[in-house]
Amino acid sequence: MPNLNEIQKVLIIGGGPTEIGHETELDSATVQIITEFKKHGVRTLIIDNNPFSVALEEIQPTNMYVQAVTTANVRHIIEKDQPDAILPSLGGLLGIRIAQELIENGDIGRYGITILGMPAATLRQINNPAALNATLKEIHEPVIEAQIVATVDEAMGLVDTIGFPLIVKPVAPRLDTNRTVCENVDDMVTALNQGFQQSRFDQCTLERSVVGYKEIEMVAVRDGAGTAVLISGLENVDPIGIHSGDSIVVAPPQTLNDREYQDLRDVTFRIAAELSIVGVLHLHFALNPDNQHFYVTKIAPYFSRGVALAARTSGYPIALVTGALLLGQRLVDVKLPSRFTKQTAIMEPTIDHVSVRIPLWPFQEVPDADQHLDTVMKAVGSTVGIGRSVEEAMLKSVRSSQFSPRDVLPSVSNLSDGEMIRQLIHPLANRILVLIEALRRGYAPDELSELTKIDNYYFVKLRHLLTIEEQIQSHPLDVDVLQRARYFGFGDGMIARMWQTDTAAIRQLSASAKIMPTYKMIEPTAGEFPEDLSGYYSTFEYENESHPLGDRTALVLGRGGNQLGPNSAAEYFTTEMLKQLKRAGYHTILMNTNPNAVGVAPEFSDKQYVDPIQLGDVLNVIQVEHPDIVIVPGNRHYLTRELGKLDDVNLHVLPPDQETGEPAPEMATIGVSLFVHGQQKIAAGVMDMIAPGMNKALSQVTAFRMPAELPKAKRVNLVEAAKQAVSERQVTGMIQVLFAPKSPDSQQLKVVGVRPTRLTEMAFLSKVTGVNWVRMLTRQHIGTLDDDELAKITIDINSNRVALMNAAFPFRQLHVLNRPGSTDQEVGATIAFGSSEALTLTNLSDTAELDQIINRTI
Amino acid sequence: MAKRYLILEDGSAYAGEGFGAGATTSGEVISNLNLLGYQETITDQIYHNQIIIFAQPAIGNVGINHDSYESILPTAKGMVVRDVTNISTNRLSRLSLDEFLQQHNIPGISGIDTRHLIRKLRDVDGPMKGSIVDVADAHAFDQLNATVLTNRQVDQVATPKPYPNPDTGKNVVVIDFGLKHGILRQLSERRCNVTVLPWTASAKDVLNLDPDGVLLSTGPGSPLDLGAGVLDMIRTVQAEIPLFAIGLGHELFALANGAELTMLPVEYHGSSHPIRRIITNDIIYATQGQGYAVIAKSIDRDRLITTYVDLINGTVQGLRHRDYPAFSVQFFADGAPGPHESRDLFDEFMEAMTARREG
Amino acid sequence: MAKVVVDAMAMQRALTRITYEIIERNKGVDDLVILGIKTRGVYLARRIASRLQQLENVSVPVGDLDVTPYRDDIDHDAQGEPEVTATNIDFSVEGKKVILVDDVLYTGRTIRAAMSAIMDLGRPTSINLAVLVDRGHRELPIRADFVGKNIPSSQRERIKVSVSEIDDRDAVEIQQA
Repeated sequence: MPNLNEIQKVLIIGGGPTEIGHETELDSATVQIITEFKKHGVRTLIIDNNPFSVALEEIQPTNMYVQAVTTANVRHIIEKDQPDAILPSLGGLLGIRIAQELIENGDIGRYGITILGMPAATLRQINNPAALNATLKEIHEPVIEAQIVATVDEAMGLVDTIGFPLIVKPVAPRLDTNRTVCENVDDMVTALNQGFQQSRFDQCTLERSVVGYKEIEMVAVRDGAGTAVLISGLENVDPIGIHSGDSIVVAPPQTLNDREYQDLRDVTFRIAAELSIVGVLHLHFALNPDNQHFYVTKIAPYFSRGVALAARTSGYPIALVTGALLLGQRLVDVKLPSRFTKQTAIMEPTIDHVSVRIPLWPFQEVPDADQHLDTVMKAVGSTVGIGRSVEEAMLKSVRSSQFSPRDVLPSVSNLSDGEMIRQLIHPLANRILVLIEALRRGYAPDELSELTKIDNYYFVKLRHLLTIEEQIQSHPLDVDVLQRARYFGFGDGMIARMWQTDTAAIRQLSASAKIMPTYKMIEPTAGEFPEDLSGYYSTFEYENESHPLGDRTALVLGRGGNQLGPNSAAEYFTTEMLKQLKRAGYHTILMNTNPNAVGVAPEFSDKQYVDPIQLGDVLNVIQVEHPDIVIVPGNRHYLTRELGKLDDVNLHVLPPDQETGEPAPEMATIGVSLFVHGQQKIAAGVMDMIAPGMNKALSQVTAFRMPAELPKAKRVNLVEAAKQAVSERQVTGMIQVLFAPKSPDSQQLKVVGVRPTRLTEMAFLSKVTGVNWVRMLTRQHIGTLDDDELAKITIDINSNRVALMNAAFPFRQLHVLNRPGSTDQEVGATIAFGSSEALTLTNLSDTAELDQIINRTI
Repeated sequence: MAKRYLILEDGSAYAGEGFGAGATTSGEVISNLNLLGYQETITDQIYHNQIIIFAQPAIGNVGINHDSYESILPTAKGMVVRDVTNISTNRLSRLSLDEFLQQHNIPGISGIDTRHLIRKLRDVDGPMKGSIVDVADAHAFDQLNATVLTNRQVDQVATPKPYPNPDTGKNVVVIDFGLKHGILRQLSERRCNVTVLPWTASAKDVLNLDPDGVLLSTGPGSPLDLGAGVLDMIRTVQAEIPLFAIGLGHELFALANGAELTMLPVEYHGSSHPIRRIITNDIIYATQGQGYAVIAKSIDRDRLITTYVDLINGTVQGLRHRDYPAFSVQFFADGAPGPHESRDLFDEFMEAMTARREG
Repeated sequence: MAKVVVDAMAMQRALTRITYEIIERNKGVDDLVILGIKTRGVYLARRIASRLQQLENVSVPVGDLDVTPYRDDIDHDAQGEPEVTATNIDFSVEGKKVILVDDVLYTGRTIRAAMSAIMDLGRPTSINLAVLVDRGHRELPIRADFVGKNIPSSQRERIKVSVSEIDDRDAVEIQQA
């Protein structure tokens, strides 16, 4: 055991770009681990190439390696900077793989580096499911026995003992792949042939299928002395067969009895001990609801969306605690910030509310993808609803995930019965609405449970919501019914629609009947101790625990769950904006429903409300907090309009509305970004706007190069032309002036449009210029931007350092043909720096390699 | 469902919806912070005459199951919950919570801000009486204030007659103070041939059965009200055969060996506290349910060794006799509900009995 | 085939019980010293001492006894007449209550040699023997005062004790010869 007290420098293997499988939760955990490391005097290095990373903003540039997260690059950093330790668990499964490769090729031994969080043997096993299964079998843990086969004939010999349905998985796949469920020999042969090709050893595993079982997850932390704490269990409402990332998830589990829960807890701790895990461990189980037998199906000793949800729902600071444990502290010695009761780190959380997480899928943006939910994850984000009953939590989460501007749930009443049944068995993205619709048509809970393998309990709860809905409909303006409706999570917008009135009327009626929200703290002791944490959710009960934050407060409305388009950039924007507001002396209040958001960390916001970002809920928060300013994201037009009507709300729209009055040009090849403040116009950069495919339309511009490949003088000219164009218009803030050739063959460029700089490009500009443009824009809005400060900014638009940013797309996971993607299909991006020779545009079109770098999944 | 009220002796009243029995009841109001296991909790005799506030917000989700009883005839005075589901079609369930409570004449009340109550009880100094009533009027409060909490709790829940639970292994006598079935299940798993004796059994009654060991069970109420006889029995028996005591049994074991007890300002029922196992210096979690605690300073170090301690409130959680293989824990080593990691105390008991025979 | 007869948890419990029994038998820990017989007996001795320290907040001296020659450490007890030398004992045993600790008690010859070695060091008040496993087949009139587990075994079988300090885990296994 290395002496962890001597560790002074740690290299974090970053999570890379957002993609299907992980979004900002890794960034969020990274920020908190860095905070904890800093507290212990440890210097953090990080390798990551995600331009929207907040963590990269939190450390000194000299400690930052903006490079693709590859074994070769990590080795270079080790050679150059000689860290004492590396931390793989913030980089998902890729981090684990890289760490193992570094052990295998001798680098870890050669440089005497410690791997934090788990021993080498564990890394090896996590990367080799067959070896892991063997270990688990040895310690008598219930695993689904996987048989390794190298030929179809071998597999045929096993079919009788395993039985269909069975599952085929490649051993040590070159790319991340998924298990294939096979119903018959033909399926199996196809899957095997594909799998042999993907396997590094030309082998596949065959195993029993547990499709239809309950999927339960357990999240625990463990210290080096062997003390372990179970943070939360997570119950997948959808059965095995639907990827946990595509399933509705409830925390804590609602349909397990205590013994089942404790059995899973026991196994979790035994596995953590066997694998000598230090820090966080996330396990998946398949539980047979008929006989309570269960199997371990996944062992993930790294940060993930499950870990994020466990932390969000329990209030237990998993990442902070893990940071301390990784440096050798014991749980009993972990000192948490003063907002926590002293020994919170070593108390096993008790949760007195219910959280429901519902995924968001990208099918609107990628309509040609197969929209069925199966074993391959397709969701790009999620929303969480928290309440004091399953109904309340579920409905809040549905209102955020099936988002409508006026808070009215979409209807699927036009589905034919046949189609509805088909969708019950083969669910699509509107899963939850179809479940409700089936109940509405009179299907009984146990029938539906039979069809969907979803526990009967959830249908009973959903049917209860329908009963309340009927009461609402049949009792217009009845205050008892209103109380009941709000109590169970109905939004003001929903009630207003049913009563054919408006939100204002609902609110007035509520106020006169004193049906007021009571906010409850999200904390891990269920009220046993007086914690002073900053996360709240609403309910309608007796005691309100949330009190105004004080003077000079800013309420920031988040964008909700992650979706395709500029959303991970928007999360970066929101977080940076919160930092600036704080720096400007504001107490910041964030309202958000994204369980993976970075901004909800107390490092960035002083207080957080996890509630639907809908008019009624926002007004409720405003009523409690009386914020001095309210900041609404630019894509929320209805909300902006309604809040704008109120006299006492000082409204700002940030990030800015991406839509402009003038029609967008068809195409552009160059963009000049200017920060416009009064008479000042600061050029932030001149970039190539690259549409990688044949279609050169502006919507296809998803790659950027800065500075643009132009003669220096020409760049200067373009900046002047851009300033001229801006002067002719009433615009302010971060503006992008678009240029395109005067004619198809011409070298001459002309201004074709002016628009607010997109959030993605704003992040890119910040990373490239070293000037935090979000800060500038925020300060401009709140009136703290200083002209002198602005004047001091010098930017070399002719820098010799070349930067590239390339959007990442989810096409491979969605199994749609490889093709250039459009801006509204972006899932994330990568950024790279180099000398102009090293980074040519052709690098960008080398999609095979980029695909490998970018399109990893967990 | 009918509108009902939870009223407290401090004069407060909380409106909710009744479920279970429609009875009007009074009792001491306590909070239970366990994450799951409402059936185990409601059937545990330590809650005799108490009204239980549940921190877990959603109750009733898995109905009533044959293998989650901690006693057959629950005698709690009520359940206070945020949300109840009366479901009986779960895979194991034959009975809904609502029906079960009706059968046992226990009222429940839902729609209560249980988090508020738990926060409130946290700061109360001493037991708080409460009632579940139909009307929260002056009369109801008068009745509540007139209620005297009984101190004959063990008598009311413990078996009056001996009964066997036969098997082929070690002979164990269990003294029933309000026996939690989890204890019997753990002994069954270890093939013990159990004889359950009433708590009034004398040392002679116990030793006449020539047992390999004796187990003092959990139970409700105050250990101070049970008289000297039981302490004499413990002192005699512990010198003869291995002894294992849990919960109320632990408190009696402490008293029998000269330690003193204190009444906690707030009863604690939960499983989130880290408990240090002193001998190996490691930490375990276990369900705790206690209104009394052994006063650490009162422990005679020539007679008892402290073996477990709660790291949150500092209470003594385990004792061992210096001269005999006799030991006790305040927490519930059988789990049910709650963590399992202290179950190997039953193995420790088995091994102590083996060592005694072989030694 | 090796069969685990004492797993890690059971080994922990056995040592815990032995520790309590030592306290019971000696009415405390005054004048106690603990001597472990190499190799695994030493680690068991240290564990018992650390348990006593935890419980009584008293540091009990621990020393090592080296058995030579030994062919292997699985059943050194069976190999003729062993010699035991006291090593690494930086305290006096004069007037002390010695707890002698070994992993497996078999013929008793090692223990006899160990007692001679102790007597060479001084004159203790008493010597008690604690073993993790008593497998029977004694050739001398020696019995253990504290036994973790009695494992009646055939002489053809081998008893293998692993301790996590030097092996990969805590376990007692029976191996068929």
